[in-house]
Amino acid sequence: MQRDRVYLGLYLVAVLAATLIHDPVWLAVGLALVLLSAGRQAANLLRRAVLTVLAFNTLISLSYIGMAWWQDISPWQTLLRLNLRVLLLTCLTFLFIARSNLFQALSLSKNLTYVLGLAYSQSLIFRRAHEDFRLALSSRSLKRPGLLDRYRASAAAVSWFIEKSLHAATQSSQALRSRGFFHD
Amino acid sequence: MTELRYRIIKPAATPALDAAPVLDVIGVGHRYGATEVLRDISFAIRPGEKVVLLGSNGSGKSTLLKILNGLIAPAAGQFHYQGEAITPARLKLPALHRRFRSEVALLFQNPDAMLFNPSVFDEIAFGPRQMELTNVAERVRHWADQVGVSQHLERPPFTLSGGEKQKVCLAALLALEPKVLLLDEPTAALDPRSTGWLVDFLGGLDITTLTTTHNLSLAPELGSRALVLGEDHSLIHDGPIQALLADMDLLAAANLVHTHRHRHGNIEHRHTHVHDWQ
Repeated sequence: MQRDRVYLGLYLVAVLAATLIHDPVWLAVGLALVLLSAGRQAANLLRRAVLTVLAFNTLISLSYIGMAWWQDISPWQTLLRLNLRVLLLTCLTFLFIARSNLFQALSLSKNLTYVLGLAYSQSLIFRRAHEDFRLALSSRSLKRPGLLDRYRASAAAVSWFIEKSLHAATQSSQALRSRGFFHD
Repeated sequence: MTELRYRIIKPAATPALDAAPVLDVIGVGHRYGATEVLRDISFAIRPGEKVVLLGSNGSGKSTLLKILNGLIAPAAGQFHYQGEAITPARLKLPALHRRFRSEVALLFQNPDAMLFNPSVFDEIAFGPRQMELTNVAERVRHWADQVGVSQHLERPPFTLSGGEKQKVCLAALLALEPKVLLLDEPTAALDPRSTGWLVDFLGGLDITTLTTTHNLSLAPELGSRALVLGEDHSLIHDGPIQALLADMDLLAAANLVHTHRHRHGNIEHRHTHVHDWQ
């Protein structure tokens, strides 16, 4: 338990530092330190982090390049800083989750443990549902689904997840209220 | 024009016991990480058989169906369909993929996972269109009529009730006229009227079915042979369903019945019960 809380403290300090440092060199040094800390898992950690942020960062980067071109300024320093920072924060988070028990780390607060429990249970349900959506499309497809079919399947899944999230959030807040979590 | 291969009949055809197995499961085991979900499962199902797979929650029923649908590779053992080994890797062969996916259909427990087309018509037509059949509209109307969703053909499937979604999913699968239908807790989200309809409908299909449930009172209506997964994830029964229902010790071992205190008049006692719940 003590070790998990130490990891939590280190993680929060590292996140704060990563948001305060603006020099890309130091952000790169931070990323290198995180990957060194991951040891043999470094390559896997970096791959997962890159895949996670790829779509978001590409969109933001392209938008910024467009804006910089419009305003006739150089985008590269900012782009480097932005992408390194997001990658560093993502790697840090993945490493922290892999190395520590979140329930033990947050056991100092009953409320935080409740919130974590709710988030964790919802994520497990959604992970299973996501797998079922993926497998169902695969099961029904006699040949590789076309772009339109994949788009429709993704849209249906997203719609289902949003609806279930709203329903689950309502249920959770009602359950917490029923158990006296909110003092109103 | 392709002729529809089967029709609703009663009673269902008797399975040929000397026929070669359509599904052959040999020593299948599976794990999710460190958690074992299936242990050394072996059984064979012959054409026309209606088999019920029973087990408590978490016993591995859904995972077994996904393995039998070629969606998950078992960690141990083998699975054969009509004598051909099936794994996700082998299903990358286009001809095998096309044949297997058109002949072995899986109804997921959550019908929402299966529905993604803009209308019920398109949903049912999805498979036949992929097969490039010429009589797609006729098939769609036939199966929509069989399951009773003809009046919803133009509606988005997401707006239907749980029972109606289940019917649309069934029609979508049956439109391909599969030889094997795998059903994962098909009555779990249904009201009593829809459950009765489904039991009658499945009983009238001349097709091999493997249906999972933990509803003991429905089990004899869904098949004559029972497979039971125990809490240790092994197969603890494979035989006639009536023999299973008469064996309270086995049912208790599989966590399919429960014991509690209750009253008969002024006498209070405890004994094993078969109370079904969803």
